[in-house]
Amino acid sequence: MTIEQQVNAANDRVMEILTKGRPVWKDVRPALDVIPGMTETTVLVPGPPLPVERLTTPIRTAVCGAAVHEKLAKTKEEAWEMVLRGEITVAQAQDHQCGCAACMVVSASMPVIVAEDSVYGGKGYAPIHPGPNPKCLRWGFYDEDVERDLSWFRDHYGPALGHAVRAAGGIDLVTVLAKTAGMGDENHNRQPAASMYLALQVIPWMLDLEDPDRDEMIRHLAANDRFFLHPMMAGVESITATMKQVPLSTVVAGMAGNGVEFGIQLAGTGNRWYTTKAPVIKGTFLNPSYTEADLLGYLGDSCVTEVYGLGGMSAIAGPAYLRMTGSNIAEARSRTEKARAVSLGEHTFAPVPWDDFKGFPVGLDARKIIGYNILPISHGGSALKKGGQGGAGAAELPLECFKEALRGIYQEALVRTEQEG
Amino acid sequence: MDCDKILDLFQSELVVVNVGPKLFATALEKQGYRTVQVDWKPVAGGDREMQKILEVLGGLE
Repeated sequence: MTIEQQVNAANDRVMEILTKGRPVWKDVRPALDVIPGMTETTVLVPGPPLPVERLTTPIRTAVCGAAVHEKLAKTKEEAWEMVLRGEITVAQAQDHQCGCAACMVVSASMPVIVAEDSVYGGKGYAPIHPGPNPKCLRWGFYDEDVERDLSWFRDHYGPALGHAVRAAGGIDLVTVLAKTAGMGDENHNRQPAASMYLALQVIPWMLDLEDPDRDEMIRHLAANDRFFLHPMMAGVESITATMKQVPLSTVVAGMAGNGVEFGIQLAGTGNRWYTTKAPVIKGTFLNPSYTEADLLGYLGDSCVTEVYGLGGMSAIAGPAYLRMTGSNIAEARSRTEKARAVSLGEHTFAPVPWDDFKGFPVGLDARKIIGYNILPISHGGSALKKGGQGGAGAAELPLECFKEALRGIYQEALVRTEQEG
Repeated sequence: MDCDKILDLFQSELVVVNVGPKLFATALEKQGYRTVQVDWKPVAGGDREMQKILEVLGGLE
């Protein structure tokens, strides 16, 4: 076979996994018990690797806060010294099949959503969305209030959600997407319909709990219209875990920003990152006093939803998000059409009524992105340099990381050809 | 030499096929001519290294 034929065959296999895989939310468990390679002194962070000295302020706060939460250190300052001495390991969440949105980090005792692909068997993980309170670890804050919330999630909310999901026999995330098709979610930054439908599956089982905080937990779940994002991220990770086992595929299997650099992973080279300067998310500011100078570059793993065809890829499914971030429906259509031009397949389970009932594109092919010079768009919330959310909007995925990725696959193909003689 | 066909061409309505920047087509449209814009860009935006890699990896129609 020629290299092109080998790449095409690899991509066919990856597209089968992407379109036929079935992510199911199965459980909630402490990270140490389930995430491969997790240790008591590991903190998983979003984005591609960055030397710890260059970690952004909100991530540094979240890492140190997680270390104090784990009782590895008494103060954030002491924790930072341990990070610098290498006594606390900072690792990339996506290299451990975990997705950390925004500034969120995961440490050993934190409860994580466990998703499993019921067709190909891959597993994926993500922390639980903290809810609408802007002061949280997920946006780079840590103090006594945040510690109280983290402890409550660890001791009550996480185990309760785990109980409910196990009792329900798992919740099929594709069914959630299908049931809420045409309800205006693009499922990266806007998911009230999916979150409500998910709550319908979970709450009946939470009513069985004997925990004195039962009502508070149900209230917390029902009041969070962003809840679905994190189970979906875990679901995507369960799919990409298998995609990353297919050599030579040029399909995007991971992407994220660390606030300084943006990186992608191709299925064909597994967890290898291809990075460049992170783009800034443009759209709307949450406070009119903010300016672009207040924002970090793209930060967070939540764009793994785009890997699965959601968010900017299916922008036409959620025109209200475009409206909210200062754009319009023509731009929503354009974003989805751009994604179609550089994708290898389509998810057909959630057709969009106002897009002639078309499904949404999935499977970004780095060859097409470079060859046609068409850059797909990711939606996202932007982080402030000082911590906190600055705004929401969209960013063009940067060309350079796709070029670097093609170089990586090309070199890999040459080496394999040489080895095969 | 039979010049009839060429003369016919110049006497018929001019329709211009434009390949490249739309600016050229727009200039003619402003003078009342009909144009057809061909949606064409060089592969990989003209990046020679990427063109060479894509010749091996394929994937473009």
